[in-house]
Amino acid sequence: MTQSQASIQRFELARRIEHFVLLISFTTLGLTGLPQKYALSSISLAIVRLFGGIENLRMVHHVAAVIFLLEAIYHVVMLGYKLYVQRRQATMMPSIKDAVDAWQAFLYNLGLSRTHPKMGRYNFTEKAEYWAMLWGLLVMAATGFMLWNPIATTNIFSGEFIPAAKIAHGGEALLAVLAIILWHFYHVHLRRFNTSMFTGKMNRAAMHEEHGAELEEMDKGLIPPMPSAAEQRRRMTVFAPLAVILSLALLGGVYYFVNAEKTSIETLPPAAEQVPVYVPQTATPAPTAASTATAAAPAANPGGGADFTWEAGAKDLFKAQCGTCHAGKGAGGFSADSYDTVLKQIKPGDPDNSKIVTVQKAGGHPGQFSADELDKIINWIKAGAPQQ
Amino acid sequence: MTLWKKVSLIGAAALVALVLLGVWMAYPQPQAVKANGQVNAPAHAPLPVQQPQAAKPDNSVCLGCHQNAGQVLKLPNGDFMSITVDTTAFAASAHGQKNLQCVDCHTDITGFPHPALPATVQSARDYTLKYQDTCKKCHADQTSAVADSVHAKAFASGNHNAPTCADCHNPHTQKTWTIKDGQLTDATQRAQVAQICAQCHSAIFNEYKDSVHGMDVMGQKNTDAPTCTSCHGVHNIANPTTAAFRLASPQMCGNCHTNASIMDKYGLSTAVYSTYVADFHGTTITLFDKTSPEHETNKPVCYDCHGVHNIVSVKDPKRGIEVKNNMLQVCQRCHPSASSNFPASWMSHYIPDPQRTPLVYYVQLFYNIFIPTVLGGMGIFVVSDIFGKFRNRGKGNTPAAPTNPESKEK
Repeated sequence: MTQSQASIQRFELARRIEHFVLLISFTTLGLTGLPQKYALSSISLAIVRLFGGIENLRMVHHVAAVIFLLEAIYHVVMLGYKLYVQRRQATMMPSIKDAVDAWQAFLYNLGLSRTHPKMGRYNFTEKAEYWAMLWGLLVMAATGFMLWNPIATTNIFSGEFIPAAKIAHGGEALLAVLAIILWHFYHVHLRRFNTSMFTGKMNRAAMHEEHGAELEEMDKGLIPPMPSAAEQRRRMTVFAPLAVILSLALLGGVYYFVNAEKTSIETLPPAAEQVPVYVPQTATPAPTAASTATAAAPAANPGGGADFTWEAGAKDLFKAQCGTCHAGKGAGGFSADSYDTVLKQIKPGDPDNSKIVTVQKAGGHPGQFSADELDKIINWIKAGAPQQ
Repeated sequence: MTLWKKVSLIGAAALVALVLLGVWMAYPQPQAVKANGQVNAPAHAPLPVQQPQAAKPDNSVCLGCHQNAGQVLKLPNGDFMSITVDTTAFAASAHGQKNLQCVDCHTDITGFPHPALPATVQSARDYTLKYQDTCKKCHADQTSAVADSVHAKAFASGNHNAPTCADCHNPHTQKTWTIKDGQLTDATQRAQVAQICAQCHSAIFNEYKDSVHGMDVMGQKNTDAPTCTSCHGVHNIANPTTAAFRLASPQMCGNCHTNASIMDKYGLSTAVYSTYVADFHGTTITLFDKTSPEHETNKPVCYDCHGVHNIVSVKDPKRGIEVKNNMLQVCQRCHPSASSNFPASWMSHYIPDPQRTPLVYYVQLFYNIFIPTVLGGMGIFVVSDIFGKFRNRGKGNTPAAPTNPESKEK
């Protein structure tokens, strides 16, 4: 192994696990979030189907969000431990040197500067990512809370915060995902496949290029040592209670985040149409005109015999039994409306040769005199069919 | 070959040709069915070729009796049924215009005396149902469309009050509908549609007649506004209480409400559909519709907020949802604990603008600038880095190669 290949321990296991948790939750959030922002694209639909529908997709998104928040809490507490108990240097703090480094690296790339900047434990590309991640976390957590708990939010803020939060949540998500692809993927996958976040180790050549200043400090033994075990224990007695309180407070915040409110009913809403569907105007649908008066019952029969004339009895009988069809022009050219038209169908004095009698005696006519009624008509014809 | 044989051969050939012609004409032609269920086809198949019918009476024989007013038939269950035909109305009807004969439909009645009613006919309703299968002789497309409808399903499940053809189209008075592109175009006829549906759905009719749509259709005789069939379809009317109907309904409303040539007349926004789909409710509904169209959901569609049949203008002081308190009540149906700030979280179909929703507008503006600025800056550096790598490789240099890797310890 040449000197330049010699490995230097860069990330302890806990950092690598943190990165892995972040990688999984961030990817899941992006994968389940962007299809909600661009819901109608065919790719989004395919992803929604893959997750078994939008409700499952949202649930996975929420679970990933909670994991992301828990990781953030762990990170904050861990940072406190490193900075206070172990008195480590705050190597992630941005400084003027980072801006100078970035500018110098840019000029170097263009061939306008001969020297590449020598950078510390975290160089400007990494700091940009870390602080962008922190900014993103704050924006996404705040707007995510508003979208998850719109009623709790609007109890304090105006309603407009919700659509504004939705735009910020989507915009920030898009920025984060694209920045990861453009910045992170380029610097640690394309430019040089940097495996240190998985192996924990980095070789000297890479250290020299990316963390030259740190390498020099290491080589010169300038990294300050950690406090003594006794000092660390003393500091721990201060830190531990604070860490517990902070952790509980933040965990309580996450619990509130998830359970602040029941935004909407979970049952189906009341039916949109409240009135009953079937309310017929008539008892049953009636396709033809409504029936009018029922067939008139035969008028009072003044009795047979000599006083049975057209006007007194026969007219009513004809109207009742024949008038349905034989009215007006009359079916078959026969109208039973008037004495004159009836007279054309009978032969006064000769019932056997009167058409009305022969048709009625044959039976089966739609309008049929009863036997009693027919007798009266026959007797009336026999009597000469008197009108009065 | 004798003369007699020749004549009979020619006669047989002519008969075969006539039958083939009849079969060809009666064969159902392909036809376009519009998405909303309106059948874009002539109302009837070509009339069957008339064979000489010496035995069958013509209409004057039937009407000789049946034109007289007040004729009723008493049915076994005691129902009275009018058997009078209004000759004027019949002459003006679609069937009268085509000179249809009574016996074309009343095939069982060919003379006097009329045959006794079959035992299945006990009531006036039974009498109507006796003719259920008659219409499809000429209206095959329409009857097969009905077969898929909620009405046919209700009938098949044993509800004999469910309508058959004649309940909506009185065969003695139904006039020819004026249809273009699957839609009724005649304002008077459009106004009649709801009256037909009202025979069974009178409570819904009462809601509809006072709605913006109903008042336009029936009061103003406005052909832009929808009548019952515009939304529900004509013959293949689907069950409107299913999840599938609910999920697809925004597109139904959107059919007209995204059409600028209609909406501009009334100063209505055509962005109502896109803004709905872009927000929580609409996104979810649209995703359900596209990925699981049978999914029951409590997410609202247009008619949950605007009303179903009793839709009023959003400006209506009593129920219009542009009035904040009315909107809050609508929100609270699904968000019971919503406060008075809550309704503003829905932007009422408006696109963000600096006057109405400044916060939303400026957040959007911020990201419209912020995203390209950040990515652009990153992009410029990444490109410079790629350039630098190639430049150095071209010179054979290893960029920033460690010149003195020796450490003090080593």
